[in-house]
Parts: sequence; structure tokens; C-alpha cells
Amino acid sequence: MTGPAPILFANVSKTFFKHDGTPFFACRELSFEVKAREIVAIVGETGCGKSTSFNMLLGLQKPDVGDIQVLGLDPFSESDALRGQVGIIFQSDRLLPWRTTIENISFGLEVLNIPLTQRRQTAGKWLERVGLKGFEDAYPHELSGGMRQRVSIARAFAIEPKILYADEAFTALDELTAERIRKDLLELIRETAITTLFITHSVSEAVDIAQRVLVFGRPGCLICEINCEENRAAGKSTHEIEQLIRQGLRVAHKTMSAEGAGEGVATDEVVRAEGSTSKGREPI
Amino acid sequence: MASNTTSTHPSGRIKFIGELGAALRAQQPLFVGLCVIAVLWQVSTYFLPRIIAPPLQEIGVAMWQIFSDYQQFVHLLTTGLRVFVALIVSFIVGSILGIAMGTFDEVSKYAKPMLHFIQGIPALSWVVFAVIWFANVELRIGFILLIVTMPAFALYIDGAVRSVNLDFVHLGQAFRANWTQRFRMITIPAIVPEVMSAWVVNLGAGVRVAMVAELIGSTTGVGFQLLNAQALFDMAGAIAWTLSLVALLSVYLGVIRFVESRLLAWRPKGERQ
Repeated sequence: MTGPAPILFANVSKTFFKHDGTPFFACRELSFEVKAREIVAIVGETGCGKSTSFNMLLGLQKPDVGDIQVLGLDPFSESDALRGQVGIIFQSDRLLPWRTTIENISFGLEVLNIPLTQRRQTAGKWLERVGLKGFEDAYPHELSGGMRQRVSIARAFAIEPKILYADEAFTALDELTAERIRKDLLELIRETAITTLFITHSVSEAVDIAQRVLVFGRPGCLICEINCEENRAAGKSTHEIEQLIRQGLRVAHKTMSAEGAGEGVATDEVVRAEGSTSKGREPI
Repeated sequence: MASNTTSTHPSGRIKFIGELGAALRAQQPLFVGLCVIAVLWQVSTYFLPRIIAPPLQEIGVAMWQIFSDYQQFVHLLTTGLRVFVALIVSFIVGSILGIAMGTFDEVSKYAKPMLHFIQGIPALSWVVFAVIWFANVELRIGFILLIVTMPAFALYIDGAVRSVNLDFVHLGQAFRANWTQRFRMITIPAIVPEVMSAWVVNLGAGVRVAMVAELIGSTTGVGFQLLNAQALFDMAGAIAWTLSLVALLSVYLGVIRFVESRLLAWRPKGERQ
């Protein structure tokens, strides 16, 4: 895991304004990085800036202050240069209802102007890879929730991206289906050795998939990060690592309650405790 | 868009025949209603003077003449062609304007009030204006049809472009599709249902307006023939021309429904009209 970080957030702040003109801080001085081939999870309560960070990574929103780099490029102003480099799995599958399964998987390939025969071939390969062979011509409404999410996973991987983003990819699924698809996704991530950043509400999901977990607090700041691999190497069980993350979330929650929604937390203090790097007022 | 053409394979033909049968069965209430009207009409002919309620046979003969005599049939064709060409032009202009309105707020801000203003003017007023402004009959009728139907196309398409699911737009942006790609792969397929609705609405409006325009400002077409029938107190002829027009409208509507069923084959059955 050497070389420049494919994903870099440096002191990023983003403020929105409510109807009455009062500012709402979605992110404040947020800094983190994801190294090449690393699998990183972001966990945090609702409203802690996960989606804003995600949107800024996608280039859908521009940060007010700070620097975001994806593969060394600004995802907002150098969006075109990142075409085909980033695969995305959204919370809702976002399959285009007028496209068949194979056409949905081909979406990213079509954006890359890959010839029809080649993209059908590639899409077919990925369709088979996610276990949906025989559903080539099915429309999204003919598929179950799990199958639809599998199609969206295939769509993300079909372009052979260097980075994968997943935004609460399993939230809309039932526990059993989510677990199955999660396992398959992890297999794919490991197989392709792709740099992965995923957002989740589930602590167990984060520990299950990620090598490193970033705990976000409101407003969009890093409360602490937990290195699952290092903790495992140090002999900690999965349960103990989950507890560490939950502790981080509790700190984030306390800070949020104390400061009120939309208010900032001090991020100038960095404390190390029990295998986690903490940024906030209370050590974990 | 997904290609979904009718297969030449026997099973494809059987499916098509099945679909046709289902479509005809769906029209059963219409056939029943028409039969009821025909019976009531025929009964009324025994009590009312012939000039008011001519018997069905007489109407049938008049209709036969329209469809068998090219000199008469050409009037129906003329009206049909006028409506068709005008709606195509109207659709092109309306689409360009509607897409521009849906994409750029500034265009919408200025164009929308203007379109609403145009829509507020009665079709008959436009007929009068057109008769005064244009000497050429085709130009006159074309203008009237364009001015009456174009705003609806533009407003429908504007609304459709604005209501394209933002999730899909973000999907396109996230995959770094450029504007043209997003327009082709997301916007166009997403607005098809609204476009088809606009066609159905405008077809009815177009035929009605064409009728009025021909009645006042033309020497050809079904409208002109209706004017003749009125001058001759030929009730059977008036009804026959009207029914011919309804038949023409039904053919157009059938074509629109067929195109719609092909373009929207992806929709779940319950959502299809």
C-alpha cells in the first residue's frame, strides 16, 4: 500500500444555508485519505456529512474550502478525466427502468463509447459473475431487490474502475439478502484489488468488509479511525473492534448532542487510545 | 432504449395475435356504446323528419361514397395530411422549446408566460387572424395548427424534462456521462411517456382546430365538405364526413398507441395505458 493516496480529503468544509439564511455545516475541516487497494468504511449517524462527502467525491458538489483529490484529480473540475475510473454502487439500485439488465450493466461502458458488441460481451460476463445469467433481457421491475442490487454491482465493476464507492449499498435489502450480496461484493473487491470506500450505518458490516473504519461526527468531521487489520493483528476479536467503533459513535453522538445540530465540534485535539485514533474532545 | 420489435418467429406471431385480440376485447365497451347509439338513432328516424335524422342506410351510402370516390376521399386525405404534417412540425418546434425550457430556467421564465398567453387565445380567434394574415390556404391552416398545438407540446416536454428522476441524473453524472450522453441515455427515455400523452392530447385538439380552420378558410378538406353539407342541408353527408373524421382520428390514435406500446414496453403492465 504505497504511492499517492487515490482518495484524499484535505481540510474540506462545506456549508449549506437553510431557508432563513442560517448556515448548516455539512462538513468542517474534514481530512482523510484512502490508500491504494485499501478498503475503507465510513460510519456515522444520520446527518454527519457522509452523503455530502460522497457527493463531493462524485463531483456532484464542490467543497467551499479544502482540497479533494481522486486519483490526483479534482472530481468537480476535472470530472471528465475521471470517466471510467470510478465505479459506484448507490443505496437505491438506480437501475434505469427502460433498460434491460444487460443494458443497465452496459451503462458505464456506453458512456466510455465502447462498441456495442464488446459492451454486451463485457456486460454478459459480469451478469454471469453476479449470478444473474438468464436474466439478460429482464427489466428492473421484473427483478427482486437483491437481484437489482447485484445488477448495480455488475454495472459498477463492468467499467473496470480503479476506485469503488458504495453508499449504504445494502440498506434497502433484507438482512439475509444483504449478507449474501455483501459476501459476494467483498469477494469481488478482493479479486479485483480495487480501492474501495464505502459508507454504511452498520458497524458489523463495516468491520466485516473494511480494513479501516472512519467514524464521522456532526458536522462532517472525523471523530476517530479504527484500523481493523492492526487491531486484529493485535489479537482483538471482531466483537472488540465493533465495540471500539461503537465507542467512537457514542463520542460522536455526545458531541452532537452537546453542540446541537449543525454546530461544529473542536477537531484540534488528537488523542490515541485503545487502538483508535481519536479526533475530538473525549478520548475513546 | 430497449429494442422490442415483433418477432417473425411463430411464437412471436401468436403473441402478436394474442395482443391484438386483447386490444380488441378492451374496446368492447366502445363497440357496445356505438351499437346503442346506432339503435337509438335508427329508432329516432321513425319519429323525426329526414332532414334532422336521416336513416342509417343513408348515412352508410354517404360514407361509402366518401371512401369509394377518390374526388371525395381526397378531402379526407387532405385533412389527415394537414393534421399529420402540422403535428410533426409542432412536435419538433415544441420539443426544442420544451427541452430548452426544461434545461434552462431563464428560457422557461420568459417562454412559459408567452405559451400560456397563446393558449389563452381561443382557436377561433387564431383562425380569424390567420385568414387575414395569410393568403395561402395551406400556410393559413398550418399556422393555426402550429399555434394551437405547439404550446401543449412545449409545456408537456418542459414538465417532463424537469421531472426526470434526479437519482438517474446523478447516476449519469457519477459515471461522468457528458451532457449529450445524459440527454440520450436518460432524459429522452424518461420523457417518452409525457411525450406520448402530449401527442394524444394534441391529436384531438389538432383535428378539431383543422376542422374549424377548413370550415372558415379553405376550399378543401373535411371542414370544407361539412360547410357544403350545411349549405345543402345534407344531414347524412354532414354525419358521414364527421364519422370519416372520427375514423381518421381513430387510425392516428391507433398508430400513437402502437408506437407507445413499443416505446414503453419496459413498463409493468399495470402502468401501461
